[in-house]
Amino acid sequence: MLKFIIPTIMLMPLTWLSKNNLIWINSTTHSLLISFTSLLLLTQSNDNNLNYSLTFFSDPLSTPLLILTMWLLPLMLMASQSHLLKEPLARKKLYITMLITLQVFLIMTFTATELILFYIMFEATLVPTLIIITRWGNQTERLNAGLYFLFYTLLGSLPLLVALTYLQNTTGTLNFLLMQYWTQPLSTSWSNTFMWLACMMAFMVKMPLYGLHLWLPKAHVEAPIAGSMVLAAVLLKLGGYGMLRITPMLNPLTEHMAYPFLMLSLWGMIMTSSICLRQTDLKSLIAYSSISHMALVITAILIQTPWSYMGATTLMIAHGLTSSMLFCLANSNYERIHSRTMILARGLQIFLPLMATWWLLASLTNLALPPTINLIGELFVMMSMFSWSNLTIILMGTNIVITTLYSLYMLITTQYGKHTYHVNNLTPSFTREHTLMALHIIPLLLLSLNPKIILGPLY
Amino acid sequence: MLRRALRLGLGPGLLGRGLGTHREGSTLAWDGKVSEIKKKIQSILPGGAWSPLCDTSHLPPEHSDVVIVGGGVLGLSVAYWLKRLEKQQGAIRVLVVERDHTYSQASTVLSVGGIRQQFSLPENIQLSLFSVEFLRNINEYLAVVDDPPLDLQFNPSGYLFLASEEGATIMENNVKVQRPTHFSRQEGAKVCLMSPEQLQKKFPWINTEGVALASYGLENEGWFDPWCLLQGLRRKVQSMGVLFCHGEVTRFVSSSNHMETTSGEKVTLRRIHEVHVKVDRSQEYQPVECAIVVIAAGAWSGQIAELAGIGKGPPGTLQGTRLPVEPRKRYVYLWHCPQGPGLEAPLVADPSGAYFRREGLGNNYLGGYSPTEEEEPDPGNLEVDHDFFQEKVWPHLARRVPAFETLKVRRAWAGYYDYNTFDQNGVVGPHPLVVNMYFATGFSGHGLQQAPAVGRAVAEVMLEGRFQTIDLSPFLFSRFYLGEKAQEHCII
Repeated sequence: MLKFIIPTIMLMPLTWLSKNNLIWINSTTHSLLISFTSLLLLTQSNDNNLNYSLTFFSDPLSTPLLILTMWLLPLMLMASQSHLLKEPLARKKLYITMLITLQVFLIMTFTATELILFYIMFEATLVPTLIIITRWGNQTERLNAGLYFLFYTLLGSLPLLVALTYLQNTTGTLNFLLMQYWTQPLSTSWSNTFMWLACMMAFMVKMPLYGLHLWLPKAHVEAPIAGSMVLAAVLLKLGGYGMLRITPMLNPLTEHMAYPFLMLSLWGMIMTSSICLRQTDLKSLIAYSSISHMALVITAILIQTPWSYMGATTLMIAHGLTSSMLFCLANSNYERIHSRTMILARGLQIFLPLMATWWLLASLTNLALPPTINLIGELFVMMSMFSWSNLTIILMGTNIVITTLYSLYMLITTQYGKHTYHVNNLTPSFTREHTLMALHIIPLLLLSLNPKIILGPLY
Repeated sequence: MLRRALRLGLGPGLLGRGLGTHREGSTLAWDGKVSEIKKKIQSILPGGAWSPLCDTSHLPPEHSDVVIVGGGVLGLSVAYWLKRLEKQQGAIRVLVVERDHTYSQASTVLSVGGIRQQFSLPENIQLSLFSVEFLRNINEYLAVVDDPPLDLQFNPSGYLFLASEEGATIMENNVKVQRPTHFSRQEGAKVCLMSPEQLQKKFPWINTEGVALASYGLENEGWFDPWCLLQGLRRKVQSMGVLFCHGEVTRFVSSSNHMETTSGEKVTLRRIHEVHVKVDRSQEYQPVECAIVVIAAGAWSGQIAELAGIGKGPPGTLQGTRLPVEPRKRYVYLWHCPQGPGLEAPLVADPSGAYFRREGLGNNYLGGYSPTEEEEPDPGNLEVDHDFFQEKVWPHLARRVPAFETLKVRRAWAGYYDYNTFDQNGVVGPHPLVVNMYFATGFSGHGLQQAPAVGRAVAEVMLEGRFQTIDLSPFLFSRFYLGEKAQEHCII
């Protein structure tokens, strides 16, 4: 694992010591090369885990997330080039350093063996994200957004620290490999209930669960493009990954405790999808659609069946790529029109036809068109939820319909229809933007040919 | 805490009376302090707009979708219709930048306030017709919860245009355009043509010497209080979520794109990215990132357009076409004449160019006279020239209405026309080269009466891409380059 972490750390001196006109080229190329090396993790010699050391390991759950994280860094760097043009040199380098630090923390989070290391890195990812949102965001509301983001996540994860210390004291170890075999089944007592809550709340806030989701629209909308991309693609999946890791230790209490959260997620799915239909701000629409997809992941993880776990992991990867691509598209609009309101930039297909193709592909994957991996994820989750309780099919079906509605609404409003006068002279798309979109959609489409690598450890 | 307990516990006792005044002062200060602390806590909690670094509440926001330069009746009308025609509430963020919140030099409030449909261009007639319908139903359009209804003091007394022999044919043709025909589905104006004898019978105080024909608007014409309309719009627009900013636009930051037309001509299209708004009486400015800019700055629209680079180019090209709006000063005089025309007096426009109308119920009259090109007063300030009344206005008034020979001028003021030197009609719609700039200015004296309809037209172009209800294509900017004048055929 050090073969990823050390090169990523060394990207920092690379940015600071590069010549002025080579910063972007150097950092993007080298991070792309590092991301190719992460594909090595895909070869697993046995059914268990690929152990690298006592501190780091990888298994079929963390591998796809790790590959996604490392793939995203060059994409984030490509997307940020335009809005950082006017900044002084030191600030540009600082921004790239923030992204690289975030990347290091994320790699360590996804590969940590010890749960305390996982927790420390989980919290550490908050700091560079907060700095990116509050310093480089676009509007005055970003301070508010940063506050919401920081405090929601911190307050949710503080009980987790207490619970982890307690677990360390009772079972003697927090090493993930040992904990699977050494945990005692939890009985339904008050203290166990609180421990269950303490373990899960941090990840529920991060996912986010419907009732605790207020930070997400603010943070996603006010963050600069790289911030939005990493938030939507990776940081939300930290919550899902954490939940998937910690639920084996909380049996059989989960069967009782999960009900309220299942209800909240099922209802929240439909609520946030419906809010998407009424959104006027493009980034806000994509943020709410993230909440809706993640609610599916929460329900899948909470019912703890093999198919639902497979669906959850697939959906996490698929949503990461799709959401990140949608944010990149929204940013390309914003850079031209300087407004995020959807109705002010309409009928763009005539002016930017190739970008319209990317919009079409992104919207189609967002609404889970077969045979993309989005559909595989949603289908697995739907089937396992149906076997858990027949009535959930109504809610899930409604959610799929509303998801289709708002994805097509977004596509039609921005691309088709009569354009207004003030979109007459849009700057044509840059090759960099086309590369960005292509590098998002090509993995997504290729994965539909071989989805078993993202189906997780229960495949 | 102790003081509070004492106050609550003892009430009007010895201790209370003894420390009476001193106690009251301290409890008031205590309550004030508590409420201040509460306000501070509320602003710090998430949800408030407090920033610990620096207080920027006096500056406009850093970003706004639409920036409207000018907060007079046209600017507010565009803001109102934008907010009204947006498909969902709160979709578009609008910022109105107004340099002078007392409106001391704005044309809106210094206007005589008349509204008429007696124009010769059908677009002007339709604009005034919609505006009068807006004004008649103003309390449905501009209703704000918990606020009192507006009283526009609309006097529907009509306009009376007098024509001499030479102008009689033009007047007849105009009236034909104004009246509704069964071919057009538009409504028309109700205008009645009168001969001098009919005129003498109806308005005995008129001297019909030199008058060949008169047209009298029977309905939907008159005058109203412009200040009330402005306040009503301001109040409504603020309740709909439009932000106001007290500042002056000093700079536009834009980017250019060199493109080619289908015939191979090279053209440079510009797009405004930022508007720099300077705060009053300070050097501080705020760059406001915007998607669309609307110029509704009235008499100063020409200067704002120059800031945006309109007109910087070789003359005779589209790039070199300036916005031909400049301020022109006009005087308005208020006089008292005890024997003057009664309550039925309309706004009378003499063929010489002098006009007057009744003001209030005490035999006071407002009036003025448009000077010729050579006699144009200097628009540098709003000082009134009283000799102008003596020499130019009074003779015409006294000739037309003999009772006005014994009048006494009470007050006078001056206001600006946003005078369009090209054809004295408004400029509406987008600019062909600066793609995200829209105009709503240059109405040369009849802007107030057309403001509601023009606001709706501009909002439609911004949101839908074309004029939907009233087609104002003759009023686009491109006519200055193509040379197509949309001229009113006056009877003078």
